[in-house]
Amino acid sequence: MSALTGAGTLARLIVRRDRLILPVWGLLAAVFPTSIANSTVALYPTAESLRSVAEEAMANPAQLATRGLVFDASVGGLTAWTVGSSGAMLLGLVSMLLVIRHTRVEEESGRRELLGAGVVGRHAPLAAVLGVVFAADLLIAVLMSALLMSGGLPAAGSIALGLSLAAAGWTFAAVGAAVGQMTESAVAARGLGVAVFSVFFLIRAVGDAGGVDWLSWLSPLGWTLHVRPFAGEQWWVLALLLCLVALLVAAARALSARRDLAAGLLPPRLGPATAVPGLRSPLALAWRLHRGQVVAWSVGFAVGGLALGGAVSGGLEGQIDAPQIMEMIARVGGEDARPVDFFVNYLLSMLAWIVAAYGMLSALRLRSEESAGRADLVLATQVSRVRWALSHLVIAAAGPAVVLVALGTATGLGYGLSTGDLGRLPQVLGGALAYLPAVWVMTGIAVALVGLLPRLATASWGVWIAFILLDVFGMLGQIDETVLNIIPFVHVPWAVLGQMSTAPLAGLTVVAAVLTALGVVGLRRRDLV
Amino acid sequence: MTNAISVSGLVKTFGRTRALDGLDLTVGTGEVHGFLGPNGAGKSTTIRILLGLMRADSGKASLLGGDPWDDATDLHRRLAYVPGDVTLWPNLSGGEVIDLLGRLRGGIDAQRRSSLLERFELDPRKKGRAYSKGNRQKVALVAALASDVELLILDEPTSGLDPLMEAVFRDCVAEEKARGRTVLLSSHILSEVEALCDRVSIIRGGSVVETGTLVELRHLTRTSVTAELAHEPDGLTGLPGIHDLRVEGNRVSCQVEPAHLDELFGRLAALGLRNVTAAPPTLEDLFMRHYRTAPQHEVAR
Repeated sequence: MSALTGAGTLARLIVRRDRLILPVWGLLAAVFPTSIANSTVALYPTAESLRSVAEEAMANPAQLATRGLVFDASVGGLTAWTVGSSGAMLLGLVSMLLVIRHTRVEEESGRRELLGAGVVGRHAPLAAVLGVVFAADLLIAVLMSALLMSGGLPAAGSIALGLSLAAAGWTFAAVGAAVGQMTESAVAARGLGVAVFSVFFLIRAVGDAGGVDWLSWLSPLGWTLHVRPFAGEQWWVLALLLCLVALLVAAARALSARRDLAAGLLPPRLGPATAVPGLRSPLALAWRLHRGQVVAWSVGFAVGGLALGGAVSGGLEGQIDAPQIMEMIARVGGEDARPVDFFVNYLLSMLAWIVAAYGMLSALRLRSEESAGRADLVLATQVSRVRWALSHLVIAAAGPAVVLVALGTATGLGYGLSTGDLGRLPQVLGGALAYLPAVWVMTGIAVALVGLLPRLATASWGVWIAFILLDVFGMLGQIDETVLNIIPFVHVPWAVLGQMSTAPLAGLTVVAAVLTALGVVGLRRRDLV
Repeated sequence: MTNAISVSGLVKTFGRTRALDGLDLTVGTGEVHGFLGPNGAGKSTTIRILLGLMRADSGKASLLGGDPWDDATDLHRRLAYVPGDVTLWPNLSGGEVIDLLGRLRGGIDAQRRSSLLERFELDPRKKGRAYSKGNRQKVALVAALASDVELLILDEPTSGLDPLMEAVFRDCVAEEKARGRTVLLSSHILSEVEALCDRVSIIRGGSVVETGTLVELRHLTRTSVTAELAHEPDGLTGLPGIHDLRVEGNRVSCQVEPAHLDELFGRLAALGLRNVTAAPPTLEDLFMRHYRTAPQHEVAR
C-alpha cells in the first residue's frame, strides 16, 4: 500500500461534504473582481479620473496599508489594487480553514481514525484535501480570468490577477497543512494559521504604508501583489510562490510522517488535579474558556495597532498634495481636520470589522457549547439558561472592549512615537472605543440567531460578509445611502477627528441590547439541541 | 411510596419524526429503574425532557414533585446527570471539571471524590482533549456520584467502560441504592439492568411497551426448554403455545408459553426424558421478542 492509497476516494468525500461551501465560495471569489472592475469603469470613465483616484490612493497610507500600492492608473490596475489584498484574504484564509477542517478537525473528532483503519495511505488525507483545495483555487482563477477578459480587460493581466490570487490560496492552504500537523486541537491550529496570516499581512502593510519596499518583499502577501497584474506582469513572482508552497507541503509531509495519529508535535501538558477555589460559577467557567482568546486578540491588535499606527502617521504631515483627498478629509472632518487624524481613524474603521468578528466568535461559543453537549453538563446543575448565556455574553461584550482599548492605545502610541505627539493618544483611544457599540450590534446579531434560529447561527458570518461587501460597494458609490444605513459601522463618529456625537452610539447600544435580549429570550424558550 | 419520576402521555416530535409517542414512565423513590431500549427508541429524548433541556409537545411529566421545565434550576440541586456521550472542555483537566460540576450542583464530598477517583482509576490531571471516551464518561460519573443528591439520571453510563470498570460502576450504583437514592438507568446492556434494577421499562418506537419487575416481565414470557429424549420425538408440532421448535435426532429445543408448560412436559415425559434444561428467559430474549416483531411506529432518526 503506497502512502497515497485512497486519496482519490477521500477527495471525493471532501467534495461531497463541502458540496455547498465550495461552489458558493468559488463563485463569490470569482465574481468579486469583475464586479469591482465594472464599478471602476462606471465610476471613473476618463483616464483623468482614473489617474486622480490612483493618486488619492497612493497618498493615503491607510489605503496603502490595507490594499497595497497602486501599480497602474487603469481600470485593470485599479481593479487589481482593489481586490489584490482582500481577494488574497478571501482565497487564502478560506483555503487554509478548509485544509484544517479536513485534517486536524477530522483527527480530533476521531473520524480520521475510522478511515485510517481502512485502506488509506498515511499521507492520503493530506494529499486529498490539498488536491481538492488546489484544484478549487485554480478553477476560481480560471473563472475569474475568463470573467475579467469577457469584461474587456487585457488577457495577460486577467490571467495574472487570477493566478496571483490562486497562489495566495495555495500558499495558505499549505500553511494550513503545516500548522494542522503541529497542534493537537483544531482551535489551536486555526489560531496559529490566522496568526501566521496576520503577521504576513502586517509586514506587507507596514512595508507599503511606510514606503519600506524590502519589508513588503518579506511577506508572501506582498509577493502576490507584486505579480503586478495589468501593470507589466512579473510572472516570475508566481514561481517564487510555488517554491514556497512546495516547501510548506514538504514540511507538512515530514511532520505528519514523524508523529502519531491525533498527536501534535508537543505532547499535551497535564493540568491541575483539583480546580482553583474560584472556579465555581458559570462566569468563572466562561472566563476560563475565553481568556486565552481575549489575551491573544488583545496582543495581536496591540502589535498591529503599534505598527500600523506608526506606519500610517509616519512623516505624513504636510506632504499631501492630492486635492481629492484633502476634499474628502474636509468633507468628513471639517476644514481644519488634520490628514494624519483622518488616516488613523480610517485605519481604525477597517480594523473594527475584525474586532466585530472576534465579538461574534465569542457569542457563537454559546452555540458550539450547546451542539457539543457541554452546555447540557452545566445546565443539568443549578445553573439556569439565562445565567449560563449571560456568563458567556458578558465576556463576548467585554472582550471586544478590551481588544479595542489595546488597539486604540497601541495605535495612539504608534502615532505618538512617529509624530512626536503623544498627547493625541486619548483621542485615538476614543476613536477606537467609538466602535464598541457597533461591534456589540454585530455580536447581538449572532446572539439573536443563536437564540431564535440556532441552525442558522453560522449565517452570522454571512451577515458580516454581506455588510463588508455593502461597505466596499458603498464606498464606490454604487449603493443607495438608505441601504447603507443598515451597516452599524456607518453610524460611528470619527472621534479621532474630534467628532463625538453620543446619539448614534446610544442608538447602536440600544439596538445591540434589543438583539441580545431577543436572543436570550429565544434561548430560554426553545429546546436545546 | 411517592414517585421520583412520573410521566404520562409524553409526546415529542422533531419535524415529521415522532420521537416520543405517548410515553408513560413511573419511577418510585428509592428504586433503581432500568430504562431499556435500542438506539433511537426515545430514551435520551425522555431524559432531556426530564432535565428541562427540551419541552414536550404534550403530556405530563413530574420530577421530584416539580415541573421539569418550570422548576428546572431548583430540581437540579437535587439530581445529578451523566450523559451518554460525554464531551468535556478540551483545556480543562478532569479534576477541574469534577470540582466545577460538583460546586455548580451545590457542593461535592471531597472524600467520596478521591475514593471514586481511585476506584475508577482515573487520572484527574489529564486535559479534556486527552481523555478517551471511557475516561470522559468516568469524569462525569465521578462528578455525579460524588455529589449529595436524591436522584441520579444516567444515560447509557457504561457505554465506553471496560468490563472491570463496569463492575466498579455496578458496585457504586448498588451503594447509591443502599443510601436510598433513586436511579434512572438508561441502557441497552441487558446484563447491567438485570444485575442492578428493581424495575424495568422497555421502550420502543417512542412509547413504553412493558414495565414491571423482572419477575413480572418474565411471567409474561416464554421459557426456553432443551431436552434429550429416549425416543425420536413426534407429536410435538401440534402442541399449543410452542414456538421455535427444533429437532435434531433425539434432541429437542423450543420456547413455550407459561400457560402450556404442563402439556409440553407431559408429552416429553411420555417420550422418555434423559436430560432437560428449562431456563427463564434472559433479558436478551425479552428484547429480541420486542424488537424482532415490527414496531407500530418505527422511529427513524
